[in-house]
Amino acid sequence: MHFDVRILVNGSWRTASVEPQVTLLDLLRDEWHLTGAKRGCDEGDCGACTVLLDGKPVNSCLVLAVRANGRSVSTVEGLGDEDHLHPLQQAFIEHGALQCGYCGGGMLMSAKALLDANPSPTEAEIRQALAGNLCRCTGHVKIVEAVQSVSRAGGGAEREQAKTEGER
Amino acid sequence: MKSFSYAAPTSVEEAVALLADAMPHAKPLGGGTDLLVRMKRNLLAPKLLVDLAAIPELTGIEQIEQGLRIGSMVTHAEIAASRLVHEQAPAVAAASAAVGSVQTRNLGTIGGNLVSCVPSIDGGPALLALDAMVTVAAPDRRWQMPLEELLFQPHCSALTPDEVLVDIVIPSQSLGKASAFEKYRRRKGLSLAVVNAAAVVELDPSGERIGRAAIGLGAVAPTTIRARRAEEFLAGQPASVEILAEAAQIAVQETAPIDDFRASAEYRRHLVAVLTRRALEGALARARSGSGSGR
Repeated sequence: MHFDVRILVNGSWRTASVEPQVTLLDLLRDEWHLTGAKRGCDEGDCGACTVLLDGKPVNSCLVLAVRANGRSVSTVEGLGDEDHLHPLQQAFIEHGALQCGYCGGGMLMSAKALLDANPSPTEAEIRQALAGNLCRCTGHVKIVEAVQSVSRAGGGAEREQAKTEGER
Repeated sequence: MKSFSYAAPTSVEEAVALLADAMPHAKPLGGGTDLLVRMKRNLLAPKLLVDLAAIPELTGIEQIEQGLRIGSMVTHAEIAASRLVHEQAPAVAAASAAVGSVQTRNLGTIGGNLVSCVPSIDGGPALLALDAMVTVAAPDRRWQMPLEELLFQPHCSALTPDEVLVDIVIPSQSLGKASAFEKYRRRKGLSLAVVNAAAVVELDPSGERIGRAAIGLGAVAPTTIRARRAEEFLAGQPASVEILAEAAQIAVQETAPIDDFRASAEYRRHLVAVLTRRALEGALARARSGSGSGR
């Protein structure tokens, strides 16, 4: 049993013929070679596969590809490229928010969704928004700082306070 | 996952007919955050998934004559963001906001949460404390039952394989009451409750005494439970910190927690006392800051 799906991926329509058990993650990676979303736990527990489905962060490993038919999907590939980095990508580089990079794609998409909905999040709101994205390398600090640096007014002030407290 | 057949009906009638036809080899698909995980682990392998996502009747949060209706396919994210739910049943909004992560809240549904009958479901305590009713559809009929009846056994709801949960209704008399939800977990996100609790508090007309209280507790019994002896104790008592603490201790007696990898039974009993007290205090504070009478 195959289903034809038509999905708006990073602004362009793509089609595929999939079996029901194929997840959106499988489709993105294995068929379309959009490998920015990673297969971490494959169970919705790590967030490495996070993409935006109709603008909302979801674990693509838990979305059947057939269910994404007719809908819009945003992946990290659509965020920016080497010549035109998204501010979040630029900030991740500048702040050292990536080590192995495996969580990065998911982190960026969750962060993007946060800033789209809430352009000036507090540190607590940033941490809550990223709570579904696990990072084994960085301890999350640089990731939070990177997101803060991109968010408007307020992010800078909290960073200053954190730095002062760290110096004591 | 093993391969399976897939259908995406657009009506409840179509869905239950498909489930009945393929019984017992078909499963309804809600958000997928529970079912697909179990299928990936090969704990079950249904031959047919009946996707409920395309059924309009299962969506929506709205005020109806009976009370506040929440479609079974409404996601936790939608409930957490709903102004109606925040106003009419704050503990329900708080509970949905506490589930999993942003990502799983955007997929996971309240119906799937309840039907999973996991003892620690966050959707349990508040809805149970608010006397929620659930609507069930079978191939030949529909009916309502109290949520308490749906939560039959751990990991086994009262639904038969050809039945679908249509919606949850919080009755009118439970709306606009002061309520609060507490969840203790090992991490701040992506964690099941070690213990969760919800409380509803109504003050009597004087505003000095508790008119009525309701307490729901999860992860401390085979299914979510009401702490009815604690509730009976509270009725008519002065609304003081000491009384709430005493009620919380009574609630502990009504639970039967187990030792597991998340916590010992002893620690869970301790948490019941703490979380019940906090939920009662939170609800009481809301009741006081409202009109003072808890409406």
